[in-house]
Amino acid sequence: MSVVVTPAMVGQVIVSGILSGALYSMVALGLALIFGVMRVINVAHGTILMLGAYTTFWWFHVLGVNPYLSLALSMPVMFVLGVVLERLMVRRVVNAPELSSLLLTFGISIALVNAIQLAFTSDLRSVEYLTGALIVGPIAFSKSRLVAFGFAVAITLLAYWFLQKTRFGKAIRATSQGPQVAMICGVNVERVHLFAFGIASALAAAGGSLVAVMVAIQPEMGQVWTFKSFLVIVLGGAGNYPGALLGGMLLGLIEQLASFFLTTQLSEAVAYLILVLVLLVRPTGLLGGRAT
Amino acid sequence: MKWVILGALVLGLGLLGLYPLVATGYGVRFMLQLFMWVALAQSWNLISGLTGYVSFGHVAFFGTGAYAAGILIAVHGWHWAWASLGGGAASAVLAFLIGYPCLRLKGPYFAIAMLGLNEVMRVLVSYFEGLTGGGLGLSLPTLYASVEIYYAMGLTALAVTALAHLIITSRFGLRLMTIREDEVAAEAMGINTARHKLYAFLISAFAPGVVGGLFARDQGYIEPIAVFPLAITITMIVMALFGGKGTIWGPVLGAAVLFVLQELVWARFLYLHQALFGAIIILVVLFMPRGILGVLQQRYRLPRYV
Repeated sequence: MSVVVTPAMVGQVIVSGILSGALYSMVALGLALIFGVMRVINVAHGTILMLGAYTTFWWFHVLGVNPYLSLALSMPVMFVLGVVLERLMVRRVVNAPELSSLLLTFGISIALVNAIQLAFTSDLRSVEYLTGALIVGPIAFSKSRLVAFGFAVAITLLAYWFLQKTRFGKAIRATSQGPQVAMICGVNVERVHLFAFGIASALAAAGGSLVAVMVAIQPEMGQVWTFKSFLVIVLGGAGNYPGALLGGMLLGLIEQLASFFLTTQLSEAVAYLILVLVLLVRPTGLLGGRAT
Repeated sequence: MKWVILGALVLGLGLLGLYPLVATGYGVRFMLQLFMWVALAQSWNLISGLTGYVSFGHVAFFGTGAYAAGILIAVHGWHWAWASLGGGAASAVLAFLIGYPCLRLKGPYFAIAMLGLNEVMRVLVSYFEGLTGGGLGLSLPTLYASVEIYYAMGLTALAVTALAHLIITSRFGLRLMTIREDEVAAEAMGINTARHKLYAFLISAFAPGVVGGLFARDQGYIEPIAVFPLAITITMIVMALFGGKGTIWGPVLGAAVLFVLQELVWARFLYLHQALFGAIIILVVLFMPRGILGVLQQRYRLPRYV
């Protein structure tokens, strides 16, 4: 396979990579948050994203609500769902062997996916809004991806500001660095867990609502997103929040490069291969320090 | 007590051996599938139940075995029995390639890596159309011998369970369970944890490869979505958990109870049945972490070799 690489193509790959990378960063930040404070890999993270996508789909089709406006609904609703799941179930397995927390979130994921299948069937659904592309010189920007990029960057920055500057954000970071010490310093660790799960779910939901406008959605789409989010936090170093942002961009670029030089089909296999290689060389991720 | 159990076992096996002589076609098929699930649940138990390393993609070995055996039969004209063993070998090779790097990692990394492995195998099988028929699938020459497959599947289920017995009652098994309880301590006691996990993983991957090969032969036709669905992994996990992970008879018990329920009641409600499986996982993890057998053991003090 011989491909003539022109500067325009390189530009397109970089632009597309950054556009999808921002979305990956936002969604993965949620997973990093849960892993950071609770040491739980939430296998249901992609499933919450799928629920966000269906919220947008449903509102668009039933009430004709602008899909971007539905972010204002999907995020708070999934925040509440996240809080409820943490309070009722995940809380009970936080200090249990990791087998328990993995299996529990796996069970939650299956139950939710199939509830959605019952409600909406497995057919592909789409939200036809903002189609087409914006052509600037030799580079095409898909309009829905561009808007999604804007929202993703804004929401990620907001979440990041919240973690860095607010009292509660500091409590979250303190808990991820050492739950015992945080507790001694007066942090209500149980409440941190509750809110971290809620915030993470809201971030995933935002991703879902934005994705719904970009591509067709179906109930089992979440699995791939769980895997991608995990890939991102591995690339960036698990529990490392700036790392999650960098990891998202990296994954976006890697995927675009792979689908450009190989095929879109194989880009997933390439991403997987990279995960295995990274883990081989650096088991704690590219920016990761401490192995826990 | 030991002799009672042994006697019951021999009697049970004898009855199962004679069963195809009296059963209807549907009856044979029913038991064949039950054997398949026993073997699959037991194979998941060997890695995840014993070492605590959760495999979310065990169906990758089933599918790989199915395709390897399918190609050996359809293209190279092998006998199905040898082809199924070839399927097992192919799965073990895949397990080595993926287990060697991934088993050195902490549990959650391994779990998600396995979730990815299944996706990747499905993509690869669809992509290499020349070998596998791609999305169109692979047809095998016709065969009129589901009774033979019944015996082969039964033998596989028996072999994996016997293997589980052998491992769980051996020093090797004790070391695996030490890894599950505290890997750092196991390492400190001088157990080569990486090597032990890898051995357990290879054994655990061989069985679903053989089962996949027999499945391919039995169905006569395989396609990527049929042999790599997450649903098969879910079913293995639910069965092993429900019966009791880390025990010898737990996966057998779980497979038997859930498969019968599934066939008689839930098969009619496709999505509800899956949602129910999700609910079972949640409930078992929260309220019955040691499964049915664990509850029975607590109440009746069953011997250790159960």
